[in-house]
Amino acid sequence: MPNIRYANMCHWKSIPYRQIPNFRDFYYEDNTNTAYYSDWDSILKYQAALGFTGIEIAPWDLADILPLFGSPEAFTAFAAERGVEVIGMFHGAHASHAADHFDEAVRSGCEAVDTIVKFGGTYMNTCPTQNYFGTGPLSREEVQNCARVMNEIGRYATDRGVKIGLHNEFFCAINLPNHRELIESTDPALVHYCIDTAQISILGEDLCTFYEDYHDRISTFHLKDTASANQPDSVRYAQDPEITDSGHRWFWEPGLGTLDLPGLYRLLKKHEFKGWMSVEYDGSPDLLASMALTRYHLDTVLRPIYD
Amino acid sequence: MPIQNFAISLDLVNRHYQEPNRNRYESRYFWEQLYPLIATSGFSAIEIPYEPVWQFGGRSGVPFNRYCVNTKYGDAAGYRAALAERGIARVTGITFDPNLFMRNANIDFFFGASGHFAGEALAHAADMGADYFAISPSPYYGRALHYHPDLEAQREAFTARTVSLLSGLAAKAQDLGVALVLRNEYWGLFRGEAILPLLAALPETVKLDVDTASLQIAGVAPADFIAANITRIGCVHLTDTAFVDNDETWKTANPEFPERRATQVFRDPGTGTVDLPGIAAQLASVGYAGPVTLSARQTRDPFRALLRTRALLNQLQN
Repeated sequence: MPNIRYANMCHWKSIPYRQIPNFRDFYYEDNTNTAYYSDWDSILKYQAALGFTGIEIAPWDLADILPLFGSPEAFTAFAAERGVEVIGMFHGAHASHAADHFDEAVRSGCEAVDTIVKFGGTYMNTCPTQNYFGTGPLSREEVQNCARVMNEIGRYATDRGVKIGLHNEFFCAINLPNHRELIESTDPALVHYCIDTAQISILGEDLCTFYEDYHDRISTFHLKDTASANQPDSVRYAQDPEITDSGHRWFWEPGLGTLDLPGLYRLLKKHEFKGWMSVEYDGSPDLLASMALTRYHLDTVLRPIYD
Repeated sequence: MPIQNFAISLDLVNRHYQEPNRNRYESRYFWEQLYPLIATSGFSAIEIPYEPVWQFGGRSGVPFNRYCVNTKYGDAAGYRAALAERGIARVTGITFDPNLFMRNANIDFFFGASGHFAGEALAHAADMGADYFAISPSPYYGRALHYHPDLEAQREAFTARTVSLLSGLAAKAQDLGVALVLRNEYWGLFRGEAILPLLAALPETVKLDVDTASLQIAGVAPADFIAANITRIGCVHLTDTAFVDNDETWKTANPEFPERRATQVFRDPGTGTVDLPGIAAQLASVGYAGPVTLSARQTRDPFRALLRTRALLNQLQN
């Protein structure tokens, strides 16, 4: 068993079919590649074939997935038949900085934990509160409010076998000035951290330094590259910066950006990291191509350092 | 009928389902490059689907709700000016469907959120200078059944709440000078001719939106429906299909994607089996002067669909 297992953080947009029973006929309707991106059967097979044996689902997909499959358990069984296990789900802890939103933020987080348990997952990577624009800068008290919410959700999750991992985006109200303050304000026994390699680098953290400092808190990774590290406040605090007007991409496949991912892998080896790493392709025009490029880079550059 | 006034719906861009290069649809540049292509295809009027989803998560590059328009253009006037610079003179209509809010067992959430955002969409329609606001009065039947297994037992109560919601919108629409029209997709609780009792329960100002493909799939001949209801028709969507619903696909959770036999339900206008030239001729013969919008929903290629639609209109003109 390797030390690192690889999953796919699901960024496929709505997949309308479970399985296409008339694949050839469907293809011939228009002779396009639509059939290849329209059913979970194919998507999960792509993952399995490329060695991504876990899937981290996105909460915004639930409204489509659940009616399509009938239940979380049915989706999990369908994925397992194709060699893929559900490892967890992302969660956004909206307004957790607001004291008067404590109960709602905890309730929502606990419901998400319950959903993950039904899928058989064990990770909930959690974005602490919303975007900086319209919310930041947060006061010290508001950061502590976030920490209290995370601790409470973390306690509920831990009791059910789920690890929650803080996951920071570069444009969140938790940002460079209070990023580490939040981590250190949470209970290490209950709240872990998911390093999104590109997001924290754009935020202004040095990837390898951050991992070295917090390696004992790290539960999982979202692995992706960027060529846009250390963005200024004017970008990170802007309104809706994630999707740019021009089509500029923040995120690239490992090896196509400028991050020191080999350096990270040397540290993973040093600290003997064991667990899941979710590869993430948000912003890619072709998720299947990105998955294959990532697999090549993993096998030829990163896994030879630490597997 | 002045064919040059026909609008085309921006629903020809597949922004929700996976395909290579889909990500570009979330950036502002894509839409601003698209508008001149629409104009070059001979359309100076568009219809916009109102989709609150783009507000959540900050994906404001898709100009399909008030938040996105205000974020990128300041206000509706700014957006209309940007459209005009690129050859789009008018937004004739705004559409709204409530499927996004059928996502849990809380029916109050469904009606509360649908009512809130439909009201916002209607106000946006007025700001955009639209002629009509087309609302789908029902979510997907199958999706509603998933979250509300007692849907049939609750049909009367569901209908009553729908009437209440629509009546409120009707009063607001009248104040705003926008025509409220009901779109009767084949997958809803009010599919086919079931839309008529609902319409009868609403103020006279509320009109029908004839969706030709949806009617045909629901087993209703569009020409007969138009002939029978011409006085209450406030909008026509010329949609095309070759799909025949032999096994109640309309009741499934994702009815635009038949689970037992995958197919493209909505075809590019002119490539299905709906007699669109005949319907256009019928509308002209009865003196229909309301809005007509062409929709290439589900197209595999929006740019090809634009030209195919123009080719169909050229055929109608000849």
